[in-house]
Amino acid sequence: MSNVILAAPPQTAALDHGDLLAHDAVPASLISMRDIWKTYQMGAEEVHALRGVEFDVHKGEYLAIIGPSGSGKSTLMNLIGCLDTPTRGRYWINGKLVSEMNDDELARIRNQEVGFVFQTFNLLARASALHNVELPLIYAGVGSAERHEKARQSLTAVDLADRMMHRPNELSGGQRQRVAIARALVNHPSILLADEPTGALDSATSHEIMNLFERLHAEGNTIIVVTHEPDIAARAHRIISIRDGHIERDERTK
Amino acid sequence: MFFDDLKESAAMAVDTLRANKLRSSLTILGVAIGVITVTFMVSIIQGLNRAFAEQIEALGSNTVWASKFDPSFGRPPSSENLHRKDLTVADAEAIRRESQFALSVSPLYRQLAATLRYADKQTETPILFGVTPYYEMTHSSYVGRGRFISDADLANASNVCVLGVDAVRALFPFEEPLDKELKIDGKPFRVIGVMEPLGNFFGQSRDNSVFMPLTTFEKYHPDYTPPEIVFVIVLRPKTRADVAALVDEITDILRRRRRVPAGAPPNFGVSTQDSLLDFYNQLTGATALVLTAVSFVALMIGGIGVMNIMLVSVTERTREIGIRKAVGATRANILWQFLIEAVVLTAIGGAVGLAVGEAASLLMNRYSPLPAFVPLWAVVVGLGISAAVGIIFGLWPAWKAARLDPIEALRYE
Repeated sequence: MSNVILAAPPQTAALDHGDLLAHDAVPASLISMRDIWKTYQMGAEEVHALRGVEFDVHKGEYLAIIGPSGSGKSTLMNLIGCLDTPTRGRYWINGKLVSEMNDDELARIRNQEVGFVFQTFNLLARASALHNVELPLIYAGVGSAERHEKARQSLTAVDLADRMMHRPNELSGGQRQRVAIARALVNHPSILLADEPTGALDSATSHEIMNLFERLHAEGNTIIVVTHEPDIAARAHRIISIRDGHIERDERTK
Repeated sequence: MFFDDLKESAAMAVDTLRANKLRSSLTILGVAIGVITVTFMVSIIQGLNRAFAEQIEALGSNTVWASKFDPSFGRPPSSENLHRKDLTVADAEAIRRESQFALSVSPLYRQLAATLRYADKQTETPILFGVTPYYEMTHSSYVGRGRFISDADLANASNVCVLGVDAVRALFPFEEPLDKELKIDGKPFRVIGVMEPLGNFFGQSRDNSVFMPLTTFEKYHPDYTPPEIVFVIVLRPKTRADVAALVDEITDILRRRRRVPAGAPPNFGVSTQDSLLDFYNQLTGATALVLTAVSFVALMIGGIGVMNIMLVSVTERTREIGIRKAVGATRANILWQFLIEAVVLTAIGGAVGLAVGEAASLLMNRYSPLPAFVPLWAVVVGLGISAAVGIIFGLWPAWKAARLDPIEALRYE
């Protein structure tokens, strides 16, 4: 019901030109998934983790994806993050057809379009905060002077200007997650994709991180948070619920 | 951009090595041992070669030797060789008459050991030569005091002799040897001269000779058998450039005199110092092959060590690989990172190995009679080889890392 209304297909203009064009038309929305299936082979058995998922995300949205474990939520997150490709269906991000890409093209897209924030932070343990934040820029081919400057700015934006040379084990959980957020944002990606971003944090720190997300959203970033915690999801402006590989509900809450 | 990538990889590599000091040192040690082996082997071969070439030069002129068979190093002459007709003094005379390229011709008999006795002293080591007055010029070896064997000595088959300094030292430690009477193999001889000292050739004294007139030698040895006694015609070319021409010329003369049919192999041997060098190079070539094989095995073992540590490293850093891939590292990025790490590892091993190898060869030069020498190319090759070992043995682990699925890698605990 609501997904028909709220996740209106963005390519209405393209549809006007006829069915033939419709398949190849590049959608105008930031993220566009069409009939996405993901099937795993478990021995002789086929397991459908996603069964025809369709939705769009526009620039500047703050979206939460919720669902119990085994719902296909993680699979969906991996697809959105371009860590994986669907078995069937089409996925565009920022106008690029990701579903047909090879490994190296996906790496490029992850570098340019996606900023990851993980539950366990996933920072390089032996590298300073600054170096961790620089990492996406290294793979983007940014020169070292510019890289330092951008990383510095990004860390300053998450209030860690005074912790740049600290290693992850010298930082608190909240600080580590902010380093991860700085890393996710440093290359100005199209989406900030957070997987249980507060899962490893106490409630006070969780609160602090969620406030940061809100601020980043207010600054114009597109944020997708994958979580199983209702109160984290409640901070978002739109919630997609996944169950058994389907979108069960897609509703705008704010 | 690629340079930044390299810098990142190299910094990471050093970082990883620092984080795993013991493991890295052991791996480096493995590679170092391989490179030490290579360096050491090369330095020995090179040192021997160089010393040999120098000694050959020191032997003096580029002489050509004609005898009834080629010198066969290390294996006894065949019976066919032994039963060949001997060269003769007449052959030497013919060469002297006909040759355009020979400056001088020195026929000589050589007896491997002679017993010299003077008063209560005796020496059994000297090499006894029966020679003509041409000996001095042909061999660039001259009498130091007294005189050398003269034409008159030769004509009269006189019992006179010229001593090398070793015999002087053995028999006349406190006496003037000139004009003394001594016994050579029981026959009385008068000392007429003492040769100039020549020094050593590969630890063997070159002053261990005693000379008598060719005719006197023949008088006492009407028959002789190799290898105890051999007859050799030694020739000196007019210039160094004439060696090849001289060899051709005397081969022609001897073929004619010995009636060797056209097309048949010669029934005599003509050799030069170059052929001595050739032989030596063959010998060291074979040695070098064995040493190369040993070095190769040593490097293989080092390389397997590298592969092992790299596989462990890849497994340990699965999650890190996942992170890097998540933020945009391509397969090539990861591959390079691990390859460079392996190469850094082996390059350090290579440098350590070269340093130790070089030090060992210096020590060897100083404290052992074996010469050793590490040429610059060996340094370059050593480092190159160790880098190559890094690439070869690092490739599979690096490829494994590059192929990791980012989702699996990120989930790895």
